[in-house]
Amino acid sequence: MSVIKAGSIRKGMYLLHKDQPYFVTKTDFMSPGKGSAFMRVKYRNAKTGNTEEFTYKSNESVEELDVESKQMQFLYADGDDSVLMDNTTFEQVSIPNTLIAEKVGLLSPEIQVYVLFYDGEALGVSFPPKVRLTVTYAEDSTAGNTQGQARKNVTLETGLVVSAPIFVKEGNVLVIDTETLSYVSRAN
Amino acid sequence: MKNWEHIHLNPQLLKTFTVRAQVIDAIRTFFKERSFLEVETPLLVENPGTEPYLEVFKTTLKTQKYDDKPAFLVTSPELFMKKLLAAGIGNCFQIAKSFRNEEGRSAFHNHEFTILEWYRTEADYTDIMDDSEELLLFILKTVTKNPQATVLPFQGKEYDLSGPWERISVAEAFQKYAAISVETLLDEVELLKKAKSKGYAVTATTTWEEIYNQIFLNEIEPNLGSKKPTIIYDYPISQAALSKPKKSDPRFAERFEFYLAGSELGNAFSELTDPQVQRARMVEDLKLRKELAKYEFQLDEDFFKALEMGLPETGGIAVGVDRLVMLFADVPNVKSTLFFPIDEVFSFE
Repeated sequence: MSVIKAGSIRKGMYLLHKDQPYFVTKTDFMSPGKGSAFMRVKYRNAKTGNTEEFTYKSNESVEELDVESKQMQFLYADGDDSVLMDNTTFEQVSIPNTLIAEKVGLLSPEIQVYVLFYDGEALGVSFPPKVRLTVTYAEDSTAGNTQGQARKNVTLETGLVVSAPIFVKEGNVLVIDTETLSYVSRAN
Repeated sequence: MKNWEHIHLNPQLLKTFTVRAQVIDAIRTFFKERSFLEVETPLLVENPGTEPYLEVFKTTLKTQKYDDKPAFLVTSPELFMKKLLAAGIGNCFQIAKSFRNEEGRSAFHNHEFTILEWYRTEADYTDIMDDSEELLLFILKTVTKNPQATVLPFQGKEYDLSGPWERISVAEAFQKYAAISVETLLDEVELLKKAKSKGYAVTATTTWEEIYNQIFLNEIEPNLGSKKPTIIYDYPISQAALSKPKKSDPRFAERFEFYLAGSELGNAFSELTDPQVQRARMVEDLKLRKELAKYEFQLDEDFFKALEMGLPETGGIAVGVDRLVMLFADVPNVKSTLFFPIDEVFSFE
């Protein structure tokens, strides 16, 4: 556990607030005309998955959680949970999908992710910047379309639907940006 | 990708900027129809406003004949407009750029922004409340080209701009939303004790002002302007800035702000006309600026000369034009209302 000033809270940090672990999703520094300075923080409670907002004094002390991260592999979906395995100890953990939020659509058995633990409890999953996923459904599009901006929705092996250029076909492997859940390029 | 590059790919994005031009035209038409004189005052000055928590931009004025002088960009045109009021120009308005340094990069702020100020003489802050209601409705009717329009769609919700807006005093809001009585609110020891019991961090150096603002931001602001605009008025006297004490209760100042859809849009005063009281407040401001290690400068003596000449009874307000454009163009942030937002002009990486 390390103590930081609220003014240095950044997106992606884990904080302890009222004895609960939170994952920071957005920060807004505020000072104009309001006197002193404040940090408005949007974060997700890492136990309940609820999104909350709190405005700190920028000079107040906040506890940043030292989270331990372990590289793990996705095994299978189990109802509202995802089951992952530690590749070295073969230990399995079950993580509620609420903690992974919309990024559940990136979990395929091929990718290695980091699972973050605090106090022995999984808090969330950290993805590599880009992952590769196979297209399982794409509507045929007419050849010869030269409009560079034409897009269509395609379905990936995980069920995730992304907007991709018109030339993408079933069976293509796509590179997906894990931050924005969007198409980057074709991998093959 | 930057906004101007996005426009190249998607010309529909120009719509926001068409709305921007319409909003600004509508503001001009509104005030000209009411015989307000449009004025221009300097952006580059020797002694800017003294608000202790606002940092200014500092530069150097070079001349052939004299020594270099420190120069500053204004955080608002207020001091110069009040000189014009003392000169007797009567009702007036200005749409200008203003500059606030050290702002965070957030959805609602840009260091360089467009500000609207208007001043109505022989009037007080309640007249400015009425003006604000009429102005927003007028902009809506202009932008929608529908003289019957009252509803503003914004980010999937609808807001009723027709008057009267919700009006609530700061003391009522603390009672209603934070269960804090006016006696507790105005007493430093009691307010800090209450804050601690609510779970806020309170240490030996925590001030009344910090806790007042933190409770306001956490418990009150999210409730303001959620269906129609909210006018929140009568601020504790320590938050008076350039406003008059309230005649019936001098613990408060005749100041209001108005909010819509989670955004503070304007800050208004019954303008303080007493030169002694104004000087005392500004001397305090400069002291606090020094403690906060902000840029230092002198008081604008012409401003006090103007107050001594006599400022008519005046109500005045500053409104963030970029935020108005954000609302009327139905875009989620101020950045989208600017061709060149600050982080696309400067490189921060």
